[in-house]
Amino acid sequence: MKKLVYVFAIMLFIVACSKSDDTGGGNTNPDNYNRTAMQTNLADNIIIPRLQNLKFGLETLVDVGNTFTALPNQANLDNLRAIYVSTYKDWQLVEPFNIGQAEVMQYSFKMNVYPTNTADIEANIANGTYDLSAVGNNDAVGFPALDYMLHGVAATDIDILNKYADANYKTYLTDLIAQMNSLTQTVLTDWTTNYRSVFINSTSNTVSSAVNKFINDYIFYFEKALRANKFGIPGGVFSTTPLADKAEAIYNGTISRDLAIIALDNVQNIFNGKATSTSPVGEGFNKYLIELDRQDLATLINNRIDAARQKIQILDADLKTQVETDNTKMTEAYDALQLVVVSFKVDMLQAFNVSVDYVDADGD
Amino acid sequence: MKKIALGLAALATLAITSCSSDDDNNQVFTTNVKAPDTYTFERDGSSTVSFGGQTTRIQMAQEIVSGLKDPSNTEAVLDNMFAHVQGDNDFTDANLNASNKNVRSKIAASTDFYAANTTDANSIKATFDFFIEDQVNTVFPNWLTPASAGVAGQIQQAGGGAIRYVNGKGLEYNQAFAKGVIGALMMDQILNNYLSLSVLDEADNRANNDAGVLDGTNNYTTMEHKWDEAYGYLYGNEVNPAVPVLGADSFLNEYLSRVEEDPDFEGIALDIYNAFKLGRAAIVAKEYGLRDVQAQVIRGKISQIVAVRAIYYLQQGKASLGTDMASAFHALSEAYGFIYSLQFTRKPGTNDPYFTKDEVQQFLDQLMVGNGFWDVSDATLDAISNTIAAEFYFTAAQAGSL
Repeated sequence: MKKLVYVFAIMLFIVACSKSDDTGGGNTNPDNYNRTAMQTNLADNIIIPRLQNLKFGLETLVDVGNTFTALPNQANLDNLRAIYVSTYKDWQLVEPFNIGQAEVMQYSFKMNVYPTNTADIEANIANGTYDLSAVGNNDAVGFPALDYMLHGVAATDIDILNKYADANYKTYLTDLIAQMNSLTQTVLTDWTTNYRSVFINSTSNTVSSAVNKFINDYIFYFEKALRANKFGIPGGVFSTTPLADKAEAIYNGTISRDLAIIALDNVQNIFNGKATSTSPVGEGFNKYLIELDRQDLATLINNRIDAARQKIQILDADLKTQVETDNTKMTEAYDALQLVVVSFKVDMLQAFNVSVDYVDADGD
Repeated sequence: MKKIALGLAALATLAITSCSSDDDNNQVFTTNVKAPDTYTFERDGSSTVSFGGQTTRIQMAQEIVSGLKDPSNTEAVLDNMFAHVQGDNDFTDANLNASNKNVRSKIAASTDFYAANTTDANSIKATFDFFIEDQVNTVFPNWLTPASAGVAGQIQQAGGGAIRYVNGKGLEYNQAFAKGVIGALMMDQILNNYLSLSVLDEADNRANNDAGVLDGTNNYTTMEHKWDEAYGYLYGNEVNPAVPVLGADSFLNEYLSRVEEDPDFEGIALDIYNAFKLGRAAIVAKEYGLRDVQAQVIRGKISQIVAVRAIYYLQQGKASLGTDMASAFHALSEAYGFIYSLQFTRKPGTNDPYFTKDEVQQFLDQLMVGNGFWDVSDATLDAISNTIAAEFYFTAAQAGSL
């Protein structure tokens, strides 16, 4: 619905004055920005190092998982949970890059679809046979499934540990982690051996170029995975009542706010071309906008992200709890994120003269 | 929502005032008729606009489509909703139960297309009956069975997405029904019934409208009312139908908003709204030539909605085939319904649809041959898309994007 507002606003100009407005972007500066430099910075300083970091985390998860299944005791469970949390944070830094092999394999659908479907997970465990890469299992794998396996299969830690007396639970846990690890290896290998050169050389302003696709992926990630999934859906923005159980990491119950802040920091760092929050500003959307004489917009976007972060920092560590206790703060955070969406999707895309390549999925 | 409401009405005025010199060039008629800012018409201080029956049928259709997704419903329950009899307890909404209207009697029931073609009308009604029958007898029993080629059942979209319930060929009957109703009920009634000369000018309508003779105890002339009933099939489920915001139902109103969102078709919503207003103002002013021009504009633009969405969903389906079959089936099922609706389109200035019933059936046969959506080829989807687009002033690429 929100979209229609823009559409009608734009329509005003088009209907009223269609003959004078054919530049599309309304941006008078010629685009001399070095897109290759931006793509190179993204690939070499941001994307590939983060995938390597995630891969390292997942290898650790494999080891710690094997230790746990060999001896399911409290100490090994605690250790596994800690690595799960740190790896889930590493994942937040990788999720926006749904391009190349990640897109082909629907990587993010196999890593972080939530809410996870606990009935499907239990059915898979009971059956003992399953294809974790099947589309129908997208909501029975990845970090959310792991969240359930480590925190949600029973009410107390003792009962959880008892579950792992059953070989099928052990096997499912092991298989979940193994799939996440191997998918990540495939994506990483493709970046280092193949896709990096595609990514940094496909810089034309066309619908299919890597630059345009990445710009779209980045905004789509922000709009859907960050704004809607982490805040809007649990906060009830798209439903008649709030849906607290649709928040991230609900079985752990202590990390969803921090995951969201990490994700938002990541969005801002990508925007500024920075490897980490403390790195200097590098080639990226910020510098691109400045090159187009849109310092104003670059500043506005950073300010709006900062404002959204402040709204998120005051939330409960568990966003499910936040929805249940004071959902207004949750929707305020959502509203602050929505302002960023407008800056990205309308103003930044117009400045870059790039078209949106995605639509909101059907409501039915 | 409120912003959009303001948008349509305010923009309608702004656009006309700011570009009035351009608009005048296209006027065939020298006229002083001016459309009001919103679809508001009064006589002696009271509204003359009425289309309660249209609102009722839109709401009945919504409940039927919901009912098609509840496997506890029997065929008789759904049939009774479809062919509701006044007073029967078919719907959750008591107002609908009390109504003497129903959906089925207005399926393929326009004066221009079906008054002298009950054979096709019966065949079309039977198709909707079949959607209900086979949903209950084939899909409902397999509600929890994984679907596969030749086997009805359920199949989930990627990313933990929606579960779709399909027949053995991958078709969702509820989608075929819902998108088919857009053509067979809403569009057929608007384009081929209420905006037709045979209805607007039936009997003494013109003389009565000229003389200001009202329709019984109502505050409108019969001709005014006919035009409003056309309006009601598009905007009748709006909270404030005089100032539409769109997206107010799951049928024509919803899909007008979707087409409007595609930059290739921006402005279509305002064009249709303006034509409805100006045509109605022309009736009040007794300027029937101007009225008929607006009817032709509406016929062309509303036909376009269905064609654009048919192609859009064919292309969406193509994009998901192989990787995400449930999403592909869902899109192709919507395409199936929109293609079915093409037989109720109306080429402006003619008595013909853009595609005949037989031509539509050939498209559907191509989609359903063998195992249907399970093995339909990209080439088939593209060929149908291009054939549809060729009849309109847009390309399959324009309709298939965004």
